[in-house]
Amino acid sequence: MLPEGTIAASEIWKRFKTDRSQGQIRDRIDRARSRVKGQGGGWRWALREVDVVAEPGDSIGLVGANGSGKSTLLKILTRVMYPTAGRVEVSGRVGALIEVKAGIHPELTGRENIFLYGSLLGLKRQDVITRFDDIVGFAELDQAIDRPLKFYSSGMAMRLGFGVAAFLNPDVLLVDEVLSVGDAVFQQRCLDRMRYVLSQGTTLIFVSHDLAAVEATCARGLWLHNGDVMGLGSVGDVLRSYRSSIEAGAEILPLASGPVRLASATATSADGGVVRSYEDLVVDLAVESDVTEKVRFYVGISEGTAAPILVVSRLIDLSDAHCRVQCTVEHLPLPRGRYSVWVAAFSLKDSDDDELMPWHPTCHFDAFGPDADPAPVAVVRPSPVQVRSRWDVVGAGSPADPNANGVPAGIEAGVEAGPLTAPT
Amino acid sequence: MDSTPAAGVLGGRQRPAEPRREIWFTRRIRPREALKELWAARELVHTIAERDLRARYKQAVLGLAWAVVTPFVLMVAFTLFFRPAAHVETNGVPYPLFAYLGLLPWTFFSTSVSKGGLSLTDNVALLNKIYCPREVFPLAALIVAGFDTVVSLIGLAVVFVATGFMPKATSVWVPLLLVVQLAFTAGVTLAVSSILVYVRDLKHALTILLQVGLFATPVAYGIDRISRSTRLLYSTLNPLAPVIEGYRRAVLYGKPPEWTMLLAGVGTSTVVLLGGYYLFKKLEAGIADVA
Repeated sequence: MLPEGTIAASEIWKRFKTDRSQGQIRDRIDRARSRVKGQGGGWRWALREVDVVAEPGDSIGLVGANGSGKSTLLKILTRVMYPTAGRVEVSGRVGALIEVKAGIHPELTGRENIFLYGSLLGLKRQDVITRFDDIVGFAELDQAIDRPLKFYSSGMAMRLGFGVAAFLNPDVLLVDEVLSVGDAVFQQRCLDRMRYVLSQGTTLIFVSHDLAAVEATCARGLWLHNGDVMGLGSVGDVLRSYRSSIEAGAEILPLASGPVRLASATATSADGGVVRSYEDLVVDLAVESDVTEKVRFYVGISEGTAAPILVVSRLIDLSDAHCRVQCTVEHLPLPRGRYSVWVAAFSLKDSDDDELMPWHPTCHFDAFGPDADPAPVAVVRPSPVQVRSRWDVVGAGSPADPNANGVPAGIEAGVEAGPLTAPT
Repeated sequence: MDSTPAAGVLGGRQRPAEPRREIWFTRRIRPREALKELWAARELVHTIAERDLRARYKQAVLGLAWAVVTPFVLMVAFTLFFRPAAHVETNGVPYPLFAYLGLLPWTFFSTSVSKGGLSLTDNVALLNKIYCPREVFPLAALIVAGFDTVVSLIGLAVVFVATGFMPKATSVWVPLLLVVQLAFTAGVTLAVSSILVYVRDLKHALTILLQVGLFATPVAYGIDRISRSTRLLYSTLNPLAPVIEGYRRAVLYGKPPEWTMLLAGVGTSTVVLLGGYYLFKKLEAGIADVA
């Protein structure tokens, strides 16, 4: 018998019928007929040869594009779904938060739902009672706990669902892309709670498109693409290769249509060489325009996602059909990594089609410089920004760290003990 | 545009197109482990039954009274319309009592099959989210139907008092008949619930089949309306017939059940229960794939 909280899944394969028309009698007849004709329904592999091994206290972040098989894998780990091939062993109670519509029964009150979920997890009534107040407090439901679930907002239902899954002491906690519903404060509390149950020896599998949250929570990463394992290892390594694949996938297309187009786009240092942290970045755009008016240009920099780390913008007079727009970002505050440059142009006229050039990625650049300083555990940093910092310590018996030449300010032992003062 | 990302950490190795033969999943049914798991989930069955009862009676204004009203209205309808038309002979027993006693097991059966049959499709959201032995849902429906039946016993008591008739001492046979009734009902409910997941529109057929069943079962009439030569076949095909007939003989006529017919019913019920459970366990594996 494996210790509780162990996941041992090896060579998991799962396939679905390509034709997933619902089970009406007519569909069955159609299917049978095409089978007789020898064109049996096709299969699509949703998972191919996936291994998941975790010991109590392990945390695995599961990333991948939509349809890559993440939710299917979670369902197989909860035993809700059977794999087509392979062995799955999960020991202990599995708490799963798989769908956002977390409520179990809309007609019942929040209170009754908590007890129902408890017995679904195999808990005794008494165990649920002892944790009841924690769940209600965490979910911030107060009076609403005695209201039927159907009157809950989606945020409330999600908070209840997370509270129940995370507080009823599961041995394995599976969380599937739910935090998107909650507000920022609640998201942080969910992440804190996940860290806490991890420290209690619960095994965590966390699925999210919020890579920063995954990085802040999980020690290991698993990257699925079309059902294949593309990466498995430390969360930093896996996310790095996942991010660069997203960037490679977001192919740079000089937009050929639209009133304002780019003939070319480059991102280099001021002298046309490699981009370095804390130095100037020059985005050079060759613009072709059908309009001759003042437009608002936007240039943004992103890392792996469409949400930019920073955006700068200027009004630019496009009086010629061809012109060159150069945007210089001074003292680039980014750590080492691969980034995308996004560009858009909007008309100043107040009309429906004010979008002259949509927000789209135009080119990549690699920045050379220090790695980002680590954030405290469980603190989510949506996108890495690295600025130069000066730390002076007074009265701690150690000399002040001048930290002048672009070396990242590591928090050294002994230094953090002293009070921080404003840089002189 | 090729959307395949660059080779990942594991990239480079060629994956086979299909899993190796020896690791393919096969549905193995281990009755002993399945029953052990079901026993461990008994509290869950109870909770789900309680949930269904609460959810149901929270909405309905008349609440619990519905459990009595349904068979009562049917009894009145049978007494007013069916009996005069079909000239049912009850050999000295008040017809309302005769009909109500037949309606109790029938209502239990039809409620179990219609509610329990839909129990998996109704709980799809739950089935997709959390693992538990799936038979808890149809079994909980059986408990809810049983609860209704117990409540409707109040109606039976009322009819007894109103007609001034007393149950006979042979009523001791009732528990035995109850076991046969439960086995048959559970088997049909399990089978129907698992099939309905795969063929959704069968639920429309279910309504009609249950209506036909009401008249194909001696609920409003006695088994003596069936010719003596076909009675054994009838009892084999419809185990509810000897069960209902047995209830009437034991409670109203002071006679033990007719053993040959009952034995035929026992045989069918056993086959239906085992077959229904086997089918359920077989189909259970794919529920999340189609739901």
